[in-house]
Amino acid sequence: MAPRRGGDGGNPGGELRKRLKTDGSILQIIKDFAEATARAGIRGEKRSLSDLALEESCREVAELGSGEVKEEIEKLVLSVTKSILQGQGLAYTVPSRTSANQLYVEELDRIVLKDKTSIRPFASSSTVKKTAITTRILELVHQLCSKQIHVTKRDLFYTDVKLFTEQAQSDTVLDDVSCMLGCTRTSLNVVASEKGVVVGRLVFVEDGDRIDCTKMGVGGKAIPPNIDKIQDMESDALFILLVEKDAAFMRLAEDRFYNRFPCVIVTAKGQPDVATRLFLRKMKMELRLPVLGLVDSDPYGLKILSVYMSGSKNMSYDSASLTTPDIKWLGVRPSDLDKYRIPQQCRLPMSELDVKTGRDLLEEDFIKKDPRWYQELELMVKNKEKAEIQALSSFGFQYLSEVYLPMKLQERDWI
Amino acid sequence: MDFDSVFVESPAEFFSENKNIAGFDNPGKSLYTTVRELVENALDSAESIAELPTIEVTIEEISKSKFNAMIGLVDHERVDAELYDDYENEKAREKRLAKEAREQERQAKAIAAGKKVTVPKAGKGRGDTVFYKVSCKDNGKGMPHDDIPNMLGRVLSGTKYGLKQTRGKFGLGAKMALIWSKMSTGLPIEISSAMKGQKFISFCRLDIDIHKNIPNVHVLEKKPNTTGWHGAEIHVTIEGNWTTYRSKVISYMRQMAVITPYAQFLFRYRAGTPEKNVSVQFVRRTDVMPPAPPETKYHPSAVDLLLIKRLIAEKSKQTLIQYLQQDFVSINKSYAERLIGEMGPDFTPKMLVKDLTDQQLVRIHQLFRQAKFDDPDGDCLSPAGEYNLRLGITKELHPDMVATCQGNEMSFGFDSVQVFEGHPFIVEAAVSLGGKSVKPGLNIFRFANRIPLLFEQGGDVITRTATKRISWSAYKISHLQDKVGVFVSIVSTKIPFKGTGKEYIGDDITEIASGVKSAIQQCCIQLKAKLVRQKAARDKLERKKNLSRYIPDVSRAIYGVLASIANEREAKRQKYEPDSREILHKVADKEVTEVTLSRKLTQYVDQVDAELALDYATQSGLVKAREPISLAGVDWTQANYLELHSPVCVMKLLS
Repeated sequence: MAPRRGGDGGNPGGELRKRLKTDGSILQIIKDFAEATARAGIRGEKRSLSDLALEESCREVAELGSGEVKEEIEKLVLSVTKSILQGQGLAYTVPSRTSANQLYVEELDRIVLKDKTSIRPFASSSTVKKTAITTRILELVHQLCSKQIHVTKRDLFYTDVKLFTEQAQSDTVLDDVSCMLGCTRTSLNVVASEKGVVVGRLVFVEDGDRIDCTKMGVGGKAIPPNIDKIQDMESDALFILLVEKDAAFMRLAEDRFYNRFPCVIVTAKGQPDVATRLFLRKMKMELRLPVLGLVDSDPYGLKILSVYMSGSKNMSYDSASLTTPDIKWLGVRPSDLDKYRIPQQCRLPMSELDVKTGRDLLEEDFIKKDPRWYQELELMVKNKEKAEIQALSSFGFQYLSEVYLPMKLQERDWI
Repeated sequence: MDFDSVFVESPAEFFSENKNIAGFDNPGKSLYTTVRELVENALDSAESIAELPTIEVTIEEISKSKFNAMIGLVDHERVDAELYDDYENEKAREKRLAKEAREQERQAKAIAAGKKVTVPKAGKGRGDTVFYKVSCKDNGKGMPHDDIPNMLGRVLSGTKYGLKQTRGKFGLGAKMALIWSKMSTGLPIEISSAMKGQKFISFCRLDIDIHKNIPNVHVLEKKPNTTGWHGAEIHVTIEGNWTTYRSKVISYMRQMAVITPYAQFLFRYRAGTPEKNVSVQFVRRTDVMPPAPPETKYHPSAVDLLLIKRLIAEKSKQTLIQYLQQDFVSINKSYAERLIGEMGPDFTPKMLVKDLTDQQLVRIHQLFRQAKFDDPDGDCLSPAGEYNLRLGITKELHPDMVATCQGNEMSFGFDSVQVFEGHPFIVEAAVSLGGKSVKPGLNIFRFANRIPLLFEQGGDVITRTATKRISWSAYKISHLQDKVGVFVSIVSTKIPFKGTGKEYIGDDITEIASGVKSAIQQCCIQLKAKLVRQKAARDKLERKKNLSRYIPDVSRAIYGVLASIANEREAKRQKYEPDSREILHKVADKEVTEVTLSRKLTQYVDQVDAELALDYATQSGLVKAREPISLAGVDWTQANYLELHSPVCVMKLLS
């Protein structure tokens, strides 16, 4: 257990500190919570899109093996060849990934892609370049699947810089290709570079190596891009703590927060990448642990939570394997600002854009479905104040790990 | 001018206090301001008699010795050289000689290398004040013979009974220039003038006694008018600086030509050396002239207490109701009665205005501020007009494209006239693309009451609107690379100028800012339509090239996949459809290669391009395929053709 240092005297942080119960009783509260979660099972776990009989038909992709992906590409290329040899040029039918083609399914608590598609013909000045890029990406993915190797998105871009001109182009087409072939992006053997980090009471085997996340120092273990190489997850943690920011992650890792309250701490340093989302889902599914989110009290913090939970619009075709249901919003919530008496100088006024983003979020289904979340966001938009996790440092650098989080856990203050 | 109701103030005092405000901050700016005052005076004069203005401006450089000769001062040789500021001591001379030697060496090298050499100019010393004789000749109204000394030799403040859209900023006409000449050179000014139909030309040489504010006439005589000229010609000699303000003077003339295309300008600069002479002619392109702006009355919400008192002082026998009704716009009889009722029991409609106490005047002023009045109409404004603006821009800039938007009642109804603090204003705008001597990026031309504004453009409402509030890219215009000309002209009975020199219009007036923005946007919308059409035409031309560029990429990628499948064992191919298997066979037998794919695609692109070109042509109605026609011979013996005569040719209509 971490030694308790520093006495904050008369400030509000100090008062709260006095109200903290012993670690033992807090632990008991978490244990009950973790057991309840494990018993309840995972909502929507067994349900898939096909069980729901939705009015609109939706598109979902599946995890395919290299051989299957290869075969799909070959079929596509052969049909294109046929069309060219018949003198009809070529065109691809690409599922549309615009926001108009997205649907939030409440039963599943995630966004899915509807079945609208667009034609990408070679014979139009506006789409010829994309068509060419699509063809080239298909060829490159075909190579990767034949050789059974993985490359990063950056690698892929550099194989034909002249054609792709910028990475955003090849990245977008890559997502299009996974939609067209009906497989996840991971199945294409293309991964994003490492971004997420994990630390805490977790042991797993990665490509044959045993990784103990309690022995990863303060930096944590980078979440590997190939989730399929991770096996045999084991943990004695009681919950997973999802952190938005790198700085807060480092604070918790350095204070060995996971030793005081057994947990696994994960961050994607801002907007989560595919690997981190896959990893979180895998942990949740295999370990059956509750997930608590610690994000900034601003619209973007909520957006990040929503991406973990319901998926991003850009990759909604694969939301089934990327989303983690039932994440609890632990903090920093707009109501915390007054409850924990965050000083005024640590709160920031929201810009017009922030307020607008907040208002737009109020319209989103994933906020509306939980009245408590809705109330919190409403409060934020009303007060026009935001605060970062770091605002808690105004009571001392370790306030986050020594007072705020234990207090939150003791009070079961998550929604 | 109405001499009965003028009052005199000390021009010397006014001028010395306001030299910089009036645009005489330094010799260079003084030269510029002198030119502009004379030109604007000349334009007003010609327009007042509805005559198309023809204006000649000449600036003549006068060397020091010539100047001395003019004032009758003998040139003095310097005796005590060290007394002077530009004295060159031993050290400085060595430095200069060394520099000159280096320069010569460099030039010699350059000549050897076959390069063109520019001879460095000798710099002017600080003490060398340069003088200029500025002349301006117009074809305007001219002045009555006997009034000339008073009209020019006195600073008069005209009655401010009415209100009018005027060019001048201070209502002083050219008098500041005359005072500046008196202050800087002391030389008299010369005026020739003739009124329409006058048999003689008045010639007058005078200077101003600044302190007494009276003209000091040297000569006033009549000369025969043989050419039937009417107008005025003024010569003033002033201190100035052509080198630093050359570009400003010329762009002023050019912009004036843009906004006044119905005027003919001839601008000449005569330097001491002929190679520095400049002569620019701005030709008249139209004889459509906007009407001279009529005088109007004040709007009740535009007056202050002082003005109320002054208006009352003018007419002593007026009753209150007459005063309200006759001296203001937007007050009719019944409204005047309602206003008087509202003023309180001390007021009656029949009371004489001269009997009003100061407190009562304050009450009237308060009510003017608080009460609701109809907006003044824009009849008293005379905008340049869409036609003239377009012509002016076309003739001076030769742009590839120009769009104009005009606030004229005829085209948009009364919406185009807007009101700020009781003063009506009209915004006109034009946006041009391309053109000669236009720099890439935004070129902003500002006009207020049809005169160009050249200074302090950073804070100006037009500049700020164009640079910050217009999203150019939304209109397919690149405001960094395209040569964009933005022209905005605002006319009003009172332009809300800002800054010491009244050189810009502030950005803090919402009405004007939004008027400017919407006018520019209107132009952009017109341009966008044209640009889109142009782009479609260009796309048509480049489509084939664009599509063909990607053929190698596509065929190589497809062939790559095909080749790798074809290399696999025969048994594996069984899973494909029969026709796919056939393709794979052909690939394996080298019957289908990258070249085959590429050739097929090229054919396809050709075919598509031809089809689309036909589509485009049908849509834009240019489908007329050329057909040979044959002309039948004409039987000239049949004599009954109808002949159409014109000054150039005769046409015969065949029946």
